Amino acid sequence: MTPMKNDPITVEVVRNAIVAYADEMAEALCKSAYNMMIYEVRDYCCGLIDTTGRMISQNRGGLPIFLADLGIAVEDGIKKYGLQGFEEGDVLVMNHGHICGQHLNNVVVYAPCFHDGELIGFAANRAHWVDIGGGRQGFGSNATTDIFSEGLQMRSLKIYKAGELNDTLYQIIQDNIRYPDASLGDLRAQVASCQIGAKRYAELVARYGRGVVESCVETIWDQTDKAARQVIERIPDGTYSAESFLDNDGRDLATPLRIAVKVIVSGSTITVDFHGMHPQVNGPLNSGRSGGIAAARVAFKALTSPELDVNEGCFRALNVDLPDGTILSARPPAALGQWSIALPTVIDTILKALAPAVPELIPAAHKGDMGGCSFFGFYEDGSRFLLMNIFGGGWGGRPHEDGESAAVSVCQGDVRNTPVELQEIKYPFIVERHALRPDSGGAGEHRGGLGIELTYRCLRACRGNINFDRTVTPPWGLHGGHTGEVSVAIIDRADGTQQRVNKATDVHFAPGDRITFLTAGGGGYGDPRKRSRTDLDEDIANGLVSREAAVRDYGYAEPQMPRRIAVNG
Amino acid sequence: MNIVGIDIGGTFTDLVGYVDGKIVTSKTSTVPADPTQGIARSLELANCDPNELNEILHGSTIAINTVLERKGARTALITTSGFRDVYAIGRSNRIQAFNLFFKRPQPLVPRSLTFEIPERILASGEVLEALDETTVTAVIAEIEAAGAESVAVCLMHSWANPDHERRVGDMLRKALPNIFVTLSHEILREYREYERSSTTALNAFVGPRVEGYLKRLETYLRSGAFDGKIHIMRSNGGVMSIGQAQEQPVSMMESGPVAGMIGAGRLAKMLGLKRCIGFDMGGTTAKSSLITDGAPAIETGYVIGEEADGQPMQLPVVNIVEVGAGGGSIAWVDNAGGLHVGPQSVGADPGPACYGKGADLPVVTDADLILGRINPQRFLNGGMPLDKAASEQAMLSKVGNTLKLNPVEAALGVAKIADSSMSLSVRAVSINKGIDPRDTAMIAFGGAGPLHAIAIAREIYIPLVIIPKLPGTFSALGMLMASWRQDFVQTFIGRIGELSEAGVEKVYAELVATGREQMKRDGIAENEADHRFFADLRYVGQEHAISIPIENTGMLSGDTSEVRKRFDTEHDRRYSQSAPTEALEIVSLRLVLTAARTDNVAEEWLSRPWEPEAEAEVGSRDVVFNDAAKPLKTAIYWRPALPAGFRLTGPAVIEEPNSTILIHPGDEVVVHEAGHLLVTLAKQSEE
Repeated sequence: MTPMKNDPITVEVVRNAIVAYADEMAEALCKSAYNMMIYEVRDYCCGLIDTTGRMISQNRGGLPIFLADLGIAVEDGIKKYGLQGFEEGDVLVMNHGHICGQHLNNVVVYAPCFHDGELIGFAANRAHWVDIGGGRQGFGSNATTDIFSEGLQMRSLKIYKAGELNDTLYQIIQDNIRYPDASLGDLRAQVASCQIGAKRYAELVARYGRGVVESCVETIWDQTDKAARQVIERIPDGTYSAESFLDNDGRDLATPLRIAVKVIVSGSTITVDFHGMHPQVNGPLNSGRSGGIAAARVAFKALTSPELDVNEGCFRALNVDLPDGTILSARPPAALGQWSIALPTVIDTILKALAPAVPELIPAAHKGDMGGCSFFGFYEDGSRFLLMNIFGGGWGGRPHEDGESAAVSVCQGDVRNTPVELQEIKYPFIVERHALRPDSGGAGEHRGGLGIELTYRCLRACRGNINFDRTVTPPWGLHGGHTGEVSVAIIDRADGTQQRVNKATDVHFAPGDRITFLTAGGGGYGDPRKRSRTDLDEDIANGLVSREAAVRDYGYAEPQMPRRIAVNG
Repeated sequence: MNIVGIDIGGTFTDLVGYVDGKIVTSKTSTVPADPTQGIARSLELANCDPNELNEILHGSTIAINTVLERKGARTALITTSGFRDVYAIGRSNRIQAFNLFFKRPQPLVPRSLTFEIPERILASGEVLEALDETTVTAVIAEIEAAGAESVAVCLMHSWANPDHERRVGDMLRKALPNIFVTLSHEILREYREYERSSTTALNAFVGPRVEGYLKRLETYLRSGAFDGKIHIMRSNGGVMSIGQAQEQPVSMMESGPVAGMIGAGRLAKMLGLKRCIGFDMGGTTAKSSLITDGAPAIETGYVIGEEADGQPMQLPVVNIVEVGAGGGSIAWVDNAGGLHVGPQSVGADPGPACYGKGADLPVVTDADLILGRINPQRFLNGGMPLDKAASEQAMLSKVGNTLKLNPVEAALGVAKIADSSMSLSVRAVSINKGIDPRDTAMIAFGGAGPLHAIAIAREIYIPLVIIPKLPGTFSALGMLMASWRQDFVQTFIGRIGELSEAGVEKVYAELVATGREQMKRDGIAENEADHRFFADLRYVGQEHAISIPIENTGMLSGDTSEVRKRFDTEHDRRYSQSAPTEALEIVSLRLVLTAARTDNVAEEWLSRPWEPEAEAEVGSRDVVFNDAAKPLKTAIYWRPALPAGFRLTGPAVIEEPNSTILIHPGDEVVVHEAGHLLVTLAKQSEE
């Protein structure tokens, strides 16, 4: 059978195949990776790119903020070498700050894909290396002020040329990063993953022909676009605005950073206007333009087509109006180490702007930060250790139900915390407590989810970075719901002193010191006095809401009569 | 030797037995309210007198349905102080990444029934804080007062040192003799506190109900003269005694689907297929499993329910990849004009449009009927005539009109999309695992499997498809071949090359001793048991480990070159790369203890020379294959009449009582001497 161009059946076959290939790339990368940022945090994405840098398909289950943004990395290589400048067996590495706009740890690896000697596309992935050199280690440092202090930059360099390893480049990498075994192991996994993707795509083209496959891909993009537009058309036209603040840039602790957005809905398009964003800062709390675009895209996708696969067609109905020089579009040589920190709040704020227009589609604010910690030091034998963990917090109450507790941010999807037993096997710490944080969820008819409490006791001297945000603008409630409890870290020194911090870099810990992370709760949705008394009784019985908070926030009175009391609304 | 296997599924209860030298079968509706009654009826229909039987094997969906319907026991959970919420927090991940209304797994135990007790053990097994028995006593009183029927105990690092768990268990069992107690280390001794808690809670949650069901079953079967063994199918592809099943019901979650794959494995071995893919298509899903050297792959850990909010279970399970496409999967068109099949499916009632019970959603079975692939008069052995006009009407109104396709064109599209989507499950266990499908064969079964298998095989270049005898009740048949099997694991971390002989020996001896205890309880003699050991290995720095078989402890503590070679090779096969110079570490040691069946009647039947059981019967009708406008005049055969050695070339339809086999143009069929159909696919051009 010769498939007709664009017949719906071939389109569906191609749709399944291209995503399955990207998933297969991701599986190979994740399962053989050497650092928890990949195998647990899933700080990676994989996909197929066409010869003009457009995203054919992307894997499911990677980091949500990596939305069809591998293309710019590949496009840079196309510009540099020309389409004739690639040959079979080439593999390129790319993490250039200005082009990619992300911290340098995010290294893109890509390989050209050929059919019958003709370049038909690229297989690419991006993964977070545990270290990329530079002045600081672990994530969460606020100490850098330009991109050069943040590590090695590689701009579309061929690590393999026609299958031949570039020893010079390899050694430069090896000699200039901490934990080279881990990162070079990850590089090996990334290269293998690209080769798998390139091979699969070539097989598909061999089977159906380049013209048919590319035309099917266009159809898939068109369908994705159409689905998004149908949702937008149901939103009333208008200009919607919202504002919030990040606490500070981690250096000047007194100055909050303004996050202001305008969302313009017009017919079947949405424009996100970032003219009100805070100007870029001296520290690393900046991203390149890709940060602003990623934030707008996550919000847009969550609203329009959360269940559809990610590809180039998803965002045709989205315009991003982003002037240069803001914290989401920093000019070089800005430091980008904390590139993603602002994104959860930016996304929350875009959604907040739309809440009056589509109250049924927008929950109250979530915990609003990336929620991680890192500790680093040396074992007795002089070898280094680096413990990293990600934690969840509360999500906002929803139009018809409570928010989820202890879940990772909107910028993180299938990202997992590190098991306590695993941490204690590998690192010199004892975890004393890993629990939900009662009363942290914002009161509401539909309560915000709870944050968590996590206490580490250090067994060896080490250092760590702490990065909490959103105390100036706590996770807000909607439609009468209260704010969620804000995040804080408490350091209890072995000598009995105590310190509360939100942002701190290179904090020294001695054996016996404890640090407790308390993560934020989600905002409440609706007036708490309307909360069903059955639900509230259950919250109290389960210890999620204390009796005092119930009386204070919900107007709770001890049940005198039957347990089920009729509730207004 | 008279044995029967009974597979209770959601819709049907299937029985296959070997009684007085003959195979007997029956298929009857499941009676959800009292599955024992369904068993009684299926025995009766097959003319089986339980008193004449030597052994009964049984698989059931009761455990998994108890979880999916959340109808288990009122369960309490005891944890280490500070870790009450480990089970609720889980891994904090959000699988539905862009969904602002995402769901996470809901614990099976409420927080109000989760109790902390002061005690702490470290990863080394050292006791940091002694067990506070006074608190344990108080907690036991609270549990009793709360009316819990079941208790799960999961303490930190109990995989390294189970003393505290054991003591809490003793106190619980003494104080509350009627309560169902599950201790995490008795289920698995592996690190990762959330997954261990979830597995333990699952066992506790389903325990009382499954225990009650199995006791009733045992009482019923033992009410007469039956004094044979009763074995229960487990997720790991083996069986366990009904006594052990009452203590460890969590291990029977996937009881049903795995049995068919065990059967496929035995058939593969008999046919001399080194590598093949078992493919099982039912009403709602299609399942695939890679079978190597006669055994399906087994992996540790999976999720019960939907991936996003299901309950993690960290026990070995036959690696089956399931996709939501089956005979009852609904075809639909999205707002943007994309045609899809599944994952939603219609149940058995009202079922597909063609059942004529008023349903108007077109499903895969409707498409098959419209295309002439199913005989409307012979569905379910003639028990249910099908209404083709109703299928056409549904196909037109829900698919054809929107896409401007006539019912036949739409039906062909639906069948192709279903095939394409099911081929992804086959792909997941082959290509995605580094296996080239061109080097494999497919063994296809399940009610709808033989109808679609050949198109799927063609889709990914599998050259040979085997349709076994009794494809419609093949899972029940598979039970008759399953070995008694136990899986034990002990987390044990260290670098290869630095492990002491004494250290390895100690873990090894503990595993063997635990196995021996279970053998004694089940009356398995030493010479019947087969011990196989595996080391979970990884490169230092990696997280995910790969299980590598080892023949003796010296491979880990002495000359480690062989284990090294095996790991590098396997890593390269799975992930297309390896690092032969990097340090390796062991994470866990595993023991798989099996005792093969003492009889081999089912295998013998699988290879027994085939004699036709009916008169030849050949007809023909129009069947649509690749071109909706040009149906092909297609010969129809009655399988029970085809003699061994019989050959035919497609297009053809081969019908049999509980299944239909579709042979595409150019494909060649030969009836194997034992009666299985071997279908060699016509060579396709690869352009």
